[in-house]
Amino acid sequence: MNIFRLLITPRVVAFKNNLKGPGGGRRVKILTLAVVGILFWLVLFFLFYRVLAYFSSQEMIGDVLARQLLTMVLLIFFFLLIFSHIVTALSNLYLSQDLELFHASPATLTEIFLSRSFYTAIDSSWMLIVFGLPVMMAYGVVYHASLAYYLSLIYVSLPLMIIAASLGILVIMVLVRFFPAQRARDIIFFLSLVVIICLYFLFRFLRPERLVNPDSFVSIAQYLGALKAPDSPYLPSQWATDLLWTRLTRYPGSQLLNHLLLWSTAFALVVIDIWMAGLIYFRGFSKAQEAKRRTHVGRKILEKTVSVLTRPLRPETTSLIAKDVRTFFRDNSQWSQLLLLGALVVVYLYNFSVLPLERSPIKSVYLQNALSFLNIGLAGFVISALSARFIFPAVSAEGNAFWIILSSPLSARRFLWSKYFAYLIPMLILAEVLIIYTNYLLRVTVFMMVLSSATIFLLVFGIVALGVGLGAIFPNFKHENIAQVATSFGGMIYMISSSVFIALVIVLEAGPVYTILSAQFRGEAVTHVQWVWIMASFILVIVLLIVAVKKPMAAGLKSLSRYEG
Amino acid sequence: MIILKNLTKIYRGIKVVDNLNLQIPQGTIFGFIGPNGAGKTTTIRMMTGVLRPTEGSISIDGLDIAKEPSQAKRIIGFIPDRPFLYEKLSGTEFLRFKAGLYGMRGTGLDEDIFDLLNLFELSNWADELIESYSHGMKQRLIIASALIHKPKVIIVDEPMVALDPRGAKLVKELFKERARKGTTVFMSTHTLALAQELCQQIAIVDKGRIVASGTSKDLEEQAGVMGDLERIFLAITGGLASA
Repeated sequence: MNIFRLLITPRVVAFKNNLKGPGGGRRVKILTLAVVGILFWLVLFFLFYRVLAYFSSQEMIGDVLARQLLTMVLLIFFFLLIFSHIVTALSNLYLSQDLELFHASPATLTEIFLSRSFYTAIDSSWMLIVFGLPVMMAYGVVYHASLAYYLSLIYVSLPLMIIAASLGILVIMVLVRFFPAQRARDIIFFLSLVVIICLYFLFRFLRPERLVNPDSFVSIAQYLGALKAPDSPYLPSQWATDLLWTRLTRYPGSQLLNHLLLWSTAFALVVIDIWMAGLIYFRGFSKAQEAKRRTHVGRKILEKTVSVLTRPLRPETTSLIAKDVRTFFRDNSQWSQLLLLGALVVVYLYNFSVLPLERSPIKSVYLQNALSFLNIGLAGFVISALSARFIFPAVSAEGNAFWIILSSPLSARRFLWSKYFAYLIPMLILAEVLIIYTNYLLRVTVFMMVLSSATIFLLVFGIVALGVGLGAIFPNFKHENIAQVATSFGGMIYMISSSVFIALVIVLEAGPVYTILSAQFRGEAVTHVQWVWIMASFILVIVLLIVAVKKPMAAGLKSLSRYEG
Repeated sequence: MIILKNLTKIYRGIKVVDNLNLQIPQGTIFGFIGPNGAGKTTTIRMMTGVLRPTEGSISIDGLDIAKEPSQAKRIIGFIPDRPFLYEKLSGTEFLRFKAGLYGMRGTGLDEDIFDLLNLFELSNWADELIESYSHGMKQRLIIASALIHKPKVIIVDEPMVALDPRGAKLVKELFKERARKGTTVFMSTHTLALAQELCQQIAIVDKGRIVASGTSKDLEEQAGVMGDLERIFLAITGGLASA
């Protein structure tokens, strides 16, 4: 036990040191994260509170809906926990750099396994538990739950977490037994992407919006049937749901069986994990340490494309872009996200194709143009979300090899602007495809088509500049996984800045667009005063765009020039 | 020629490099030695433009690295002590990338790349991703990449890290040959025998300051100790009594 305590000490001490760490910057960071976290927590709480309060006001089906919602929430929560444990366990048990030190120490395999499983459980669960709490609190408040309910949250989530952790760790141990750890990482990543995309398509094509319209169902029984989420008496999340529901509604039945099921499964799985670790953990770890296989470069199509596209550019820029493109397409965790992007675009366009415009009580022509205008913002947010994943980490993607850029004759300015233009072109194409195709589906007026295409065109310049610039202000060249960069503090600042920028442009254009469209539909002329106001608004949009491009790029350049490793 | 004038670097209030002054003639192999934490790597990182000095200036072949960074870097070949590279590129692609950063392209480049890969015995691995290279192979690739643009000055931090005896011998011969042709080599190392064998001039740095410099003979006089560089080094840095 002493050794176990010793093995988890580095993480505990590092956490304490991080909190104590010097510098006002860190404090600001923690404070900002805390404020954003609390805001998110409160929004989630009020959202669920409103939904549950509405459910509870519906006499016949209110409780059925609330219980089904709880079943779904716990089911999703449970599967997310398992998935999160699979991903974290791979790093903590097989790939972390400090593992060599642990395995070379006199600690037993079980002690190492347990300490790393402990890390895994903490890393994977804390966020889900923190953000699951407002949902459970909303249930408690709406149903006026007793103290027993709140206490049961602890003794229900603990075995649920242990079960999810044990299952996740078990899956990863078996997977690494058959595949090297690096391959296993790719496989997990790829499979999870495919699952997410499938779920996304399934959810979208089931059209859940039909459920808010009971008229489309023949009978109430059919409606209730459609509401039912998949549940099973064999799922631990179902045992947890039954337990919590009894506490919420003070239903008098005994829940002893569910208690026993939860805790005995948790203990049994821990024992099975330790036993399996004895059999296969070290073999997998040892395999993970072996040198990577020789990997021959696949070329032809990629090589040709890169060389054709970059031929007119200077050799420095060509080199940089060619390197970025090759790195991107050879990193499975990077290129495979294009699948997600593809799914996102298909669903986005599909949504517009199924809009029931003709059944709307509002005059169709108004609605089409209003939707087209709002669509500029929506497409902007989609581009912004993609930029957070691909463009914001672009500078950090240089990683430990950034010394090569720093010691080369390539200036920081050229480096940053090369990144900017390399990402600007594909983003412009994507944004225009989204806008023009959705406008075509909406059958909007020529004015709206021109306005929205031009606005998104300008927005992309700002969104990309914010991504590259803020990415240079908040670089992380020492990341172990580039995905961490997108979800960092800087990534959050980027998302906020980018959203504010899009919102400001939309707000500035909304008034003038309304005035022009109203005048068109009424057959009236726009007055001179209105024209002045319209021109002023559009000039402000241009000014805002220039600020959005110049400021972050200049600040990023300054930060990069001062970078000291 | 390399000139360091009053070079100082302060990190969070601590003087890591303290008023360093050096003048290294063209074609010299210069050894920069000192205990751990003496400021050697920081000095090298400032000389290669990776770090900005707090005070002082660095001139490489008449070009001030702060005022004309691009031109100065164009004539420097930098070999760091840790081989961090773009792991998803092949050896050939990395060399072509590095050449591109120095504004090079064209048919002659392929030949140069081929020759360097041959010289460093990496031809068989030329089209493999760098992630599958061993530590020593990565170090060879970094040295090859530092030579691709035929630099006038080679700045190297611990040149023999991870190299096998064959690789080490190759690098030694290469430095000697380049120096004969007029290239200046600035080399930081803990391998005192290597410094003694290769360097015409040596500076010993301790706590950010140069405590002795000159030829081996000059160092003997300054230390008041005769014999090999190890004894001189220990006498100057205060380790001789405990050794």
